[in-house]
Amino acid sequence: MPALTDRAWSPYLGGALLGLLQIPAFLLIGTALGASSSFVTVSATLAAWVDPAIQQIDYAAKHLSGAKNWWQVALVLGIALGAFLSSRLSGARRAGIAPVWERALGTKSPATRFLLAFLGGFLMLAGARIADGCTSGHGLSGMAQLAVGSFVAIAATFAGGIAVAHLLRRV
Amino acid sequence: MSVLSAVLLGLAMGVVFGFLLEKSRVFEPAVILGQLQLRNFLMLKIFLSGVAAGLVVIGALVATGLSGLHPKAAIWSADIVGGLILGAGIALTGACPGTTLAQIGAGYKDAWFTLAGGLLGALAFTYLEPTLRPVLLEGGAGKLTLDKVLGVPFPWLAFGFAVLLVIGLVALERWRPWREEVGVNADGLLPPLETATGATSSAAPSRA
Repeated sequence: MPALTDRAWSPYLGGALLGLLQIPAFLLIGTALGASSSFVTVSATLAAWVDPAIQQIDYAAKHLSGAKNWWQVALVLGIALGAFLSSRLSGARRAGIAPVWERALGTKSPATRFLLAFLGGFLMLAGARIADGCTSGHGLSGMAQLAVGSFVAIAATFAGGIAVAHLLRRV
Repeated sequence: MSVLSAVLLGLAMGVVFGFLLEKSRVFEPAVILGQLQLRNFLMLKIFLSGVAAGLVVIGALVATGLSGLHPKAAIWSADIVGGLILGAGIALTGACPGTTLAQIGAGYKDAWFTLAGGLLGALAFTYLEPTLRPVLLEGGAGKLTLDKVLGVPFPWLAFGFAVLLVIGLVALERWRPWREEVGVNADGLLPPLETATGATSSAAPSRA
């Protein structure tokens, strides 16, 4: 039996339970699981303090208010809390930078890693918003709805990811 | 539903989501980078299990009439260009938009930079969206799903596809047992390739 104090659960169990989260999303919110549009809601809300004109952009306006948008922001914040709780219960708390990066980048320099994480984060969300979804929205949710565009988007995501990952050192 | 109840529900679902991302180890940068370098297949196992379960439950919701589908529109240029850029970002961050927050929750410091870059990337897209729309974000096939293409009822196709995924996952597990991919520190980091493919290539690498 998997216990809350285990460090790792079977990926099949973990994955299947993730899929079950579609039930409350569909029945109670009327949408599928997703993560990346919350980045628009949060960043446009913050930007509106300095640049109220952003509310004139339809795309921003569509993301600034409404139950679905703030549901997803809460979902994403909940992810941080859930991962915190799980890692506390199992004693698998992390600190600093994952050791894989020293292998992949050939340096222990935190500055290099932070810069790459920032640049990668920028690309990740820019790409996700161009594609209108990420590994959650297109991947978990789009593929589970047999959405043709999501299959194309996920194929492109893996293609881009595999290509760029091979530019790094082998881990 | 009011915004407040949606937020409370989102938080509750998010805690479960984050808990599962952490327990399944898919939030680990070594798992994600290892998958993209085709060395560690944990991510694919979790991802396809999630899709398979999703197919079954969404198929059931549609079959019972409890819910319809919420697919995204297929816009080929946006899906391909956006997907490629998203993938590049995933490789450099060792994260997805959702797992970035799981990394923060679990304690990784660099994930804060991923988050900051992500917020800026989303904001940059928001400002550029009116310019990009006519070039990249229009056209395509609309909210097209495979059941419409094939003329098969959604639930049947969904259940059939789920069965195929399960068969694929069984084969994947035989090829690469998951317990061997979790790693000693449960972070998906496998022994360096020099050790793994060295003179004792077939034997399990010993640890000092």
